[in-house]
Amino acid sequence: MIHRLLIAFALALTAAAAYASTITVLVQQTALRKRPQSYSPSVGTAKLGQRFESSGLEAGFHKTPAGYIHSSAVTERKVKLGSADSVGGSASAEEVTLAGKGFNAQVEKSYGAKNGEVNFAAVNAMERRSVPEAELFDFLRAGGLMGEGGSK
Amino acid sequence: MKRFLLLGVFAAAGCQGLQNLDVSSMTGGRINSNVDLTKVAKGVNQVRKGFSEISESEEYYIGRAVAAQVLTRYKPLNDPGLNAYAQKVTQAVALASDRPSTYKGYHVQVLASDEINAFAAPGGFIFVTKGMLELVRSEDELAGVLAHEVAHIAKKHGLKTIQTSRLTSAFTILGSEAAKNYTPQQVSQLTTAFEGAVDDVVNKLVVNGYSRDKEYEADKFGAQYAKAANYDPGALKAFLERMEKAEGSGGGGMFKTHPSPAKRETELGDLSPAPGYKRSSERGRRFSAAVQL
Repeated sequence: MIHRLLIAFALALTAAAAYASTITVLVQQTALRKRPQSYSPSVGTAKLGQRFESSGLEAGFHKTPAGYIHSSAVTERKVKLGSADSVGGSASAEEVTLAGKGFNAQVEKSYGAKNGEVNFAAVNAMERRSVPEAELFDFLRAGGLMGEGGSK
Repeated sequence: MKRFLLLGVFAAAGCQGLQNLDVSSMTGGRINSNVDLTKVAKGVNQVRKGFSEISESEEYYIGRAVAAQVLTRYKPLNDPGLNAYAQKVTQAVALASDRPSTYKGYHVQVLASDEINAFAAPGGFIFVTKGMLELVRSEDELAGVLAHEVAHIAKKHGLKTIQTSRLTSAFTILGSEAAKNYTPQQVSQLTTAFEGAVDDVVNKLVVNGYSRDKEYEADKFGAQYAKAANYDPGALKAFLERMEKAEGSGGGGMFKTHPSPAKRETELGDLSPAPGYKRSSERGRRFSAAVQL
């Protein structure tokens, strides 16, 4: 009996450990949430390049000691952080993002100079329109859209 | 003792799983910058090959340029209240999607055009025309329309329209350098590849339209996102029925680039609302206040 329990315990430990991984944030910023739900309140902000230890996935969110983070905003692949000079031909897409290489602001500037008529000023105005989470959650709550398990 | 040994073996196996795969060891690591560029371009062990290897930040810059092109062809509507309202509904459905965060988030702009149309550029840039909004009757319908556009972005439909040859060219240029900033020649080459990629997406969005499969996929996932955000996914069907009538009265825009509304209706799956769905007079009130066209 004890033998079986030990094997079961070992298997459970193996499964948990096998999933554990280091994840790296690939977006400028994203919420760390209290629960693995989109409308759960945020308990912090994860920023580009930050690394977290994930102990597993729940409903599309990685569980980390700092909170739940959506799997679409991170990579589980090992990436080299830091200096741009590490980004050569063998760089992965993740490393290109973290080093700010590839199609970047420098290329956009050159594109803008070549295509003087394109309206980047209107795009900048559009980007300034982002709604902070607290205001968005008030909007959702007032409209009866905050379901069970939502914020508060 | 034997039991402890067994436990040790399992624990060790688990610890092995903790280690990440080192991509650099598979790809040959960094490239020396002091080498002949043509040789490097030929010999470089490229990791990145197609649209799926476009990075988050590159998707954002492609999307910005596509958005800039759209805003050159269509005048933005200067209505702060309407744009702010559309932004909140967009963020609500995006948050409930399977891609709640893009590199710099989702943004929407209403266009001052009577054409019935909506576009989604890579990275999170969404456009909806005044003509389209005139057909929308409720916040739930608006959520369905915007969720369809969020689905195009979440499923990377725009990036999939870029010709592989342009990406190969760009990735090769990137592969041939390792300096902090690009040389003027490299910037020029990258800009040409970038320009081609942007043109591919703009032509697909504005001129030719996505394939029917992509439109049906965006409808299907859009309805799911609206439902997950506690909007009525059936509102999209009601809107498509109204569009069908508008199509009868003629016009280009979305009718030129999308499958017929009648066909889209038949392709929509289960449209039952989520258990948490509630009707709300507040949604009706704020929709009427914001959408006064």
